[in-house]
Amino acid sequence: MKFLQKLGKNITKLIIFNDCKKQERFTIPDNNNSGDGNRNEKGNGKNNIRVKEAKKGKNSRGQIKRPVRVTKSSLSVREQELKKTEEEIKQKNFNFEELYVNPSLDVNKRYLDIIYSLPKNKDIIIREFYIALESPLKAFVLFIDGLSNADIINNSILKPLMVLLDEGIKIKHGEVAEYIKEHLLPGHDVKILNEYRQILDLVNYGNTAIFFEGSAQCLVVETKGWERRSVGRPEVEQVIMGPHEAFNETLRSNTALIRKALRNEQLITEMIKMGSRNRIDVAIMYLKDLVNPQLLEEVKRRISSIKTDYVGVSGVLEQFIEDSSVMFSPQILTTERPDRVVSFLVEGHVSIIVDGGPQVLIVPATLFSLMHSAEDYYLRYPYGNFLRVLRIFALFIASLTPAFYVSIVTFHQEMIPTELILTIVASHTTVPFPTIFEVFAMELAFELIREAGVRVPGVIGNTIGIVGALILGQAAVQAGIVSPILIIVIAITGLASFAIPNFSISFGFRGIRFIFTILAALFGILGISGGLFVLLLSLVNMKSFGVPFLAPVSPKAKTGPDVVLRGQLWSMEERAAYLKPLDKRRQPKISRGWLKNPQKGGEK
Amino acid sequence: MKKILISPGEAAAFIIILMGAKAFLGYPRLVTEWGFTAGWLVVLLSGLLSIIFWLLIIGVFSRFPGKPLTEITELTMGSFLGLGINIIIFLYVIFVTSTILRLFSEASTLSVLTETPVNIIALLFLLAAWLAAYYGIEAIFRCAYFSFPLLSIGVILVLVLLYPYFDLRMLLPLTGAGIGPVLMSSVWGTSAFGEAVSLAYLARYFSFKPQILKNVGVFSISYIMLFFLAIVIVYQMVLPYPTSSETLVPFYQLSRSIFLGYYFQRVEAAFVIFWTFTAFLRISAGLLVAAIILQDTFKLPYYRPLLPALSLLIFTIAFTTDDLMQAVNLATEIDMVYGWIIIFIIPLLISLVALILRKGDRKANDS
Repeated sequence: MKFLQKLGKNITKLIIFNDCKKQERFTIPDNNNSGDGNRNEKGNGKNNIRVKEAKKGKNSRGQIKRPVRVTKSSLSVREQELKKTEEEIKQKNFNFEELYVNPSLDVNKRYLDIIYSLPKNKDIIIREFYIALESPLKAFVLFIDGLSNADIINNSILKPLMVLLDEGIKIKHGEVAEYIKEHLLPGHDVKILNEYRQILDLVNYGNTAIFFEGSAQCLVVETKGWERRSVGRPEVEQVIMGPHEAFNETLRSNTALIRKALRNEQLITEMIKMGSRNRIDVAIMYLKDLVNPQLLEEVKRRISSIKTDYVGVSGVLEQFIEDSSVMFSPQILTTERPDRVVSFLVEGHVSIIVDGGPQVLIVPATLFSLMHSAEDYYLRYPYGNFLRVLRIFALFIASLTPAFYVSIVTFHQEMIPTELILTIVASHTTVPFPTIFEVFAMELAFELIREAGVRVPGVIGNTIGIVGALILGQAAVQAGIVSPILIIVIAITGLASFAIPNFSISFGFRGIRFIFTILAALFGILGISGGLFVLLLSLVNMKSFGVPFLAPVSPKAKTGPDVVLRGQLWSMEERAAYLKPLDKRRQPKISRGWLKNPQKGGEK
Repeated sequence: MKKILISPGEAAAFIIILMGAKAFLGYPRLVTEWGFTAGWLVVLLSGLLSIIFWLLIIGVFSRFPGKPLTEITELTMGSFLGLGINIIIFLYVIFVTSTILRLFSEASTLSVLTETPVNIIALLFLLAAWLAAYYGIEAIFRCAYFSFPLLSIGVILVLVLLYPYFDLRMLLPLTGAGIGPVLMSSVWGTSAFGEAVSLAYLARYFSFKPQILKNVGVFSISYIMLFFLAIVIVYQMVLPYPTSSETLVPFYQLSRSIFLGYYFQRVEAAFVIFWTFTAFLRISAGLLVAAIILQDTFKLPYYRPLLPALSLLIFTIAFTTDDLMQAVNLATEIDMVYGWIIIFIIPLLISLVALILRKGDRKANDS
């Protein structure tokens, strides 16, 4: 009888003590937020249920299970461990590079409480549960609300582990993560990890981490599910012929768009993390059997070497990796079109995709590639070339027309036929300003209209363009502030600048026309000539990832007929030699098989 | 240090523009002065003579593969005498660049910027040249290579557009001033092709062998000889002698003579862009070559720190003469009449000494 009383006392003591300690465990004061107790209360409630179930000797599914024996000494050790952990984290100054998953679930939770500033941080969710094994195993999932797909978490993680398990599953100690990954979780992408840095990167990107009691490993399940923009139409690089798909802000959508168009197992997508604060993914895509290894190495070296806290979009990365950031011209091609990226990849270029941006970078870039448009290749040979010639004219008009106007009107009036000079003089008689002032005023007005048109919402933007261009120009002429011919000059210049296919280089040429105009006002055509000389010098001096910017013209390099004008598609047999691709030949000498003449040697 | 490698095409374009710049200054007038209506014959003979000079110089050059002429001079003539010769060459390059700067500035004042002070224009040229030389040899060579076809088209366009005024009778008598004066002036005229020797001073930057360097020199001299011939012939056909011997800026005068109907006349300002662009390149090249010769002579690690001082020196020498006529006369005397002695004869003497003393790598020569 004494024995039975003593046994009952001990069991009661054990259970009450256990309950007490559990409560204590969930009420450890948080330095960051002492007032919030919702999560703790939930935890307590859940614990109470579990304790009651433990008292009854049943698990959540009503099966009889053995209660977990927790001794006083083991708990104090755990407490000590928790405190030690906290100290360690503080000492590491929240650097989690060397932090590993602890076998104790409590320790891991404490880690996460500190890392994510829980419970202050409201969109970080930790959901505790028991895995319905023969011996119930405590676990919790960690995910970010809004970034992860709740349906996947419920149906593919919690349900299989809590409800759908077969009875009597036993898992060996230390093999929990592996067993669950291989037998219990139906997720398509499940990783076993033990480094916090990796786990946090994935959780911050919408994945769900599962921690287990007694396991120093963690499972990370792919559960990304945030709101995203669907694949839309290109807004900057529109074409009439050709695909109408554009990249969006989701990295995986963008890589998939490229893969969809380039179905090749040699297409490699490498990932690099960037930004110490936003830890964004940067994808490097290339064709393994084509790309110059030195070029690829250089791309990786530049990207990996960047130490900054935030890289938001490709435009930011571009500024970090370009050869010269003060030159007027970009040295990296930016596009929003998957078909354009693919066309460069099959030439041996490397594409860089930054998660969060709808533009993809292509390296290396040359002046000629920046002047090409996707449509050049989709149209027939003569039409494509016509567009290219038109664009070259546009380039010169956009950069030199105001300068020539100023120089001719100021210094070289003899170049203008008499009637025309009389008209110009007559229109100038009412204008109280010198020509250079007129030009600058109108150029500035034009840039203002353009900028305002871009910044304000669509319909109003168009209205501003019309109001600005028509009414302001007309009013300026009638007020006698500018001459009518100048309005024509500025309008043509503006139109030409919009005909340049690359937004960035168009910006550059718009900028240098101001320099040319100043030079023309000071030195006439001599000034323009000097400006062209310096411009050419800077162009030949520029490089893009080691490739000269004016290649393949200066320095001369072997390439297919696709530099200023393009040849016929069947004649583009070789890839550009300046890229040093592993496979130099695109197609055989006779690419059109139907023209094959066996008597003359036929296909290569 | 970054390795700079210049291709044969870039080297040829650079030298052609270096030589061709004088076509926009007084060269057509000068040969007309020397040979009268046989000025074109002076060009032809001096061009052929220059090719012979070049072949003789490059013969010894192959004994010292990859070495610049400044180094070869020191190896052959000894360090003291070699230093002296190199300094003379350097001073000559500086002088020629100064006269070119002055003449192009004056030509700009005469033709397009009549009210702008000539020293301001010279300053513009020199600033651009300084920037170009600072960018380096690769940038200037590639700039020359890129612009070479455009400049050639510009010159050809002017010559072709003058076709209504072509009069073959203006070239008669064919012997012009007579056989003797024509032959004599053909020797002086080799100075016009002397820039080809600059290739020998820049040898360490070339990616090709001396054999190809020889071909580059021969090609460049031949090409520019044909260009000079075309310009002088057209000049003499359009502007009859003795008017053709009195024009200070012959090429500008030619472009000014274009008249193809009411809407295509007085287009000389449009063609100014071609010759002023050449002027920018020529002055930059002169500054760069002078800096490299000085660097090699004194074994300096870099030439860029020399550029401000050299620019100032060129500017100062350019304006030592009081007026345009003095500058033209000085340029004619030193650059054209005696220039060939410094450009061709000194390297030929060095070649001769190298052969006599059996200096250089015989194996390289044999191979």
